[in-house]
Parts: sequence; C-alpha cells; structure tokens
Amino acid sequence: MTDDKDVLRDVWFGRIPTCFTLYQDEITEREAEPYYLLLPRISYLTLVTDKVKKHFQKVMRQEEVSEIWFEYEGTPLKWHYPIGLLFDLHASNTALPWSITVHFKNFPEKDLLHCHSKDVIEAHFMACIKEADALKHKSQVINEMQKKDHKQLWMGLQNDKFEQFWAINRKLMEYPPEDSGFRYIPFRIYQATTERPFIQKLFRPVDSGGQLHTLGDLLKDMCPSAITPEDGEKKTQVMIHGIEPMLETPLQWLSEHMSYPDNFLHISIIPRPTD
Amino acid sequence: MSFSMAEEEDFFLEEKKFKQYCEDFIKHSQKIGDGWEWRTSKDFADGYLSKTHFQITNRNVPPDLKEKNNDNIEQTLFMHVEESLDDSQVDGVCATAEVIRYEYHILYSSSYQVPVLYFRACFLDGRALTLDEIWRNVHACYQARLLEGPWDTITQQEHPLLGQPFFVLHPCRTSEFMSAVLTSSRKENRQTNYIASWLSIVGPVVGLNLSLSYAKLASEQNTDADVI
Repeated sequence: MTDDKDVLRDVWFGRIPTCFTLYQDEITEREAEPYYLLLPRISYLTLVTDKVKKHFQKVMRQEEVSEIWFEYEGTPLKWHYPIGLLFDLHASNTALPWSITVHFKNFPEKDLLHCHSKDVIEAHFMACIKEADALKHKSQVINEMQKKDHKQLWMGLQNDKFEQFWAINRKLMEYPPEDSGFRYIPFRIYQATTERPFIQKLFRPVDSGGQLHTLGDLLKDMCPSAITPEDGEKKTQVMIHGIEPMLETPLQWLSEHMSYPDNFLHISIIPRPTD
Repeated sequence: MSFSMAEEEDFFLEEKKFKQYCEDFIKHSQKIGDGWEWRTSKDFADGYLSKTHFQITNRNVPPDLKEKNNDNIEQTLFMHVEESLDDSQVDGVCATAEVIRYEYHILYSSSYQVPVLYFRACFLDGRALTLDEIWRNVHACYQARLLEGPWDTITQQEHPLLGQPFFVLHPCRTSEFMSAVLTSSRKENRQTNYIASWLSIVGPVVGLNLSLSYAKLASEQNTDADVI
C-alpha cells in the first residue's frame, strides 16, 4: 500500500507532454518550428514557457511581438488556471502531445487576464493560498507565517522544489487535534460547457453527525446533474490531476493530498469519451 | 442576530443577510432611479448587484481653468450621464470627447464573508481601458484615498460568475473597517444597510458615487425598531 506521502510526490511531479506551434497568421522572417516541452501539471503557463517565448521570438521581428497568449482548438487558455486543470478540462481524452497554439498579437481582452510579469503570477498564487486558508483556518495559519515563509511557497513552486515547498505547506494542511478536519474545504468544480467558470461554495469536511464527507457528497450537493443518474449510463467523468478518484474518497483526505500548490482542489467534470 | 462576531470583533456578513441588504438596496435604487439592478447567474440562484453608467471625458480644458488649477494633477472635466442616454445623443456631444462605459458589480465572497466590488470600463468601440486609464479618470483626491485606504491595490481577476476579466477592489480587511462603522451605528441604536455603508466608502475610490438618500434607507427601517 503506497504511503500517503507518495501521493504528494506523484501530484507534484506530474507532467504533460506538449507541442507548441506558432499561430499561422503571425508574421515571421523564417519558418517557425514547433517546440516540445513537458509541462508541470501544478504550475502556470506563463511561469514555465520562457523558452517557448524565446524560441518563437527568434523568428519574428520585434514590432510583431506583444503579450504572449495560448490557445487550444480556438479556446484561449487562462494562464491563471493550473496547467493540469486546463489539460483535464479541455484535452484529457485526446491524443498526446497536447497541441497548444502560441499567439503574440490580438490579445483577447475579454477572455484573458494580462500577465505582464512574474510578479502578477506570484500575486495570483499567493491570493489563492490566502483564500484557501481563510476557508480552512479563518486565515490564522497564513497570517501567523512570516513573509519569508510566503516567499518560500512561491519559490518552491517557481523552482520546482518539492521539499522547499512542503516544508511550509505542511503547516497549511494541519488542523486542531480536537477537530476532524479543516473548517471548510477549498475547492472549485469546473465544467467547460457552462458560462459560469466554476462552482465554489462553503462545504464542511464532516457532516453534523461527525461522518467524513466524501467526494460524492460534494458533487451531489454542488452539481447533482454531473453525478450518474441511477438508471442511465455514466455520461461524465470527475477528474482531478488526470485521474478519476473514487467517489467514496473522504474530501478531507483529498484536500490534504490532492490539492494543487495553491491549496485548492480543482475538480473537472468532463464528458465521458464514447469510443 | 445579523452578524457573527469572531474573537477579533470583525463583522462577517452571512450570505442570506447579503441578499436581504441587496434587496432593500435595489428597492431604494428603483425609487430614486439611479440604475442598480439584481442579476442572477444562468445556472444557479446566485446573483449580484450591477450598475452601468456612462462617463464623458473632455480633454479640452479652457486656458483660464488650466491656470487656476496648477496643483491639480487631473486636467480633465467630467460629466456624468445617465444610462438612458442613447448612442445618437452621445454622438452629438463634442467630437473630441470620449465616452467610457463603466460596469460595477457587487458580489458576495463566501470565502471572506464580505461583499466585493468588481468593475471594468471600455470605450464605445469595445476597447477595454487599462487600470492606468481608469486611474486617470478618478479624481486626484480619491487617488490619494486609495493609497492610504485599508485595502490592497486593485488587481485584475476573473469574474466568478461571468468568467471575464474585471478589476477588483478586494480589501482583505473589509470586515475590519466595517466593524468600526457598524459598532458606532449599534451604539446609536441605528440599523444600517451594510451594502449602502460599505459602498459609500469604497465606491468613490473607483468613480462610483452613491446618493446621500441611501443614508435614509437605513433610518426608514428604524421606525419599528425597539429602543431599549
């Protein structure tokens, strides 16, 4: 039986083989070769694609280059969502490598947040961690930490340092011994088919009788239509980090072991492939 | 009990109370015709307050005014126009003027249990304003207030119900400054509308003004209140 800590490593080191291709209408001085990269599931597009940017800028004129953005099959990819979430939500049942198109013009203002520097990514990442702790601990744990601890979380993510990150993050995964878990579970449920980007509400890890809530309990409460109707076939998959956890899994355990570094459980509901 | 008090004496707003205050707020808005409405998301019972207004900025400043306002960082004049102004009327305005469409949404944050102000602005051709451009249209005195206010800087975030980029004035310390406001009202046995009080503080910072009549909104509800 694998140790629970192995799950933490498996989540951290998950990778998605990706092929980046320059958008055909971009103006180049020579032909642009595609660029291949293994993307960390737990990171963010604009944090890990400096090499992609450099590669394509080499064949373009400076005046043709403004803010980079990424798109998959016509859908602009939200850099502020973790890469693993984007893949699970948009491309999980397609052939690898994941084919992403790179743009340097016509930034889609109505769809994407701007990302002018790494500071923007850090601010977003830290804001997510703070919000998660507001839910888990009324912000007590994050507020008691020093600035250097916050910095260590960010540096751990940026430099892909598992031990450095978890040295601090483990404190965000603790709870008082008299409790059965966090105050509320930080989660977001995504479905590509809805206008609403995600569902996020208050949900306790334990019910009024002291029983641990499961993933199935959460889904029944938040999006019952996504859960299999008893008579029908399973029309959807519930995916976290590229796998379908059993619906009986306790939510508290999932929150401690399968959250992203931002401390949120990002759950995708996707159509089941009909092959 | 309207508020749950944590050890730190912060006032947290429960979602049901938020919706109730919004309902009262809308009723008053309809009475005075200042354009606030309640919008709901397509798939859920969740909703938010919304207001759109148009602002005309005229970058031609008369010469004598320029001299009088040497200390003034801003050299633009503002006219606020009601939403009822249709496009043909707008086009009739001075050709050098630019019309900006502002959208303000008030959503409830269940994570922090406070209201949050989302806003965005664009020109009539759809081009979005950058944060700098929005800033330049906020009166200088409010810019100073933003810098010293009990809030973090404004950031761009995804609107949780629409999925589009908005600017957010999300003070982590809303509950702190609201507790000061609400404590003094309680001392005077005066009921307040949380949304009206909160908006009167954060709104002007982003160019959103609230009619003084909203203060009456709270006291209208006091006629039945028991005074102990």
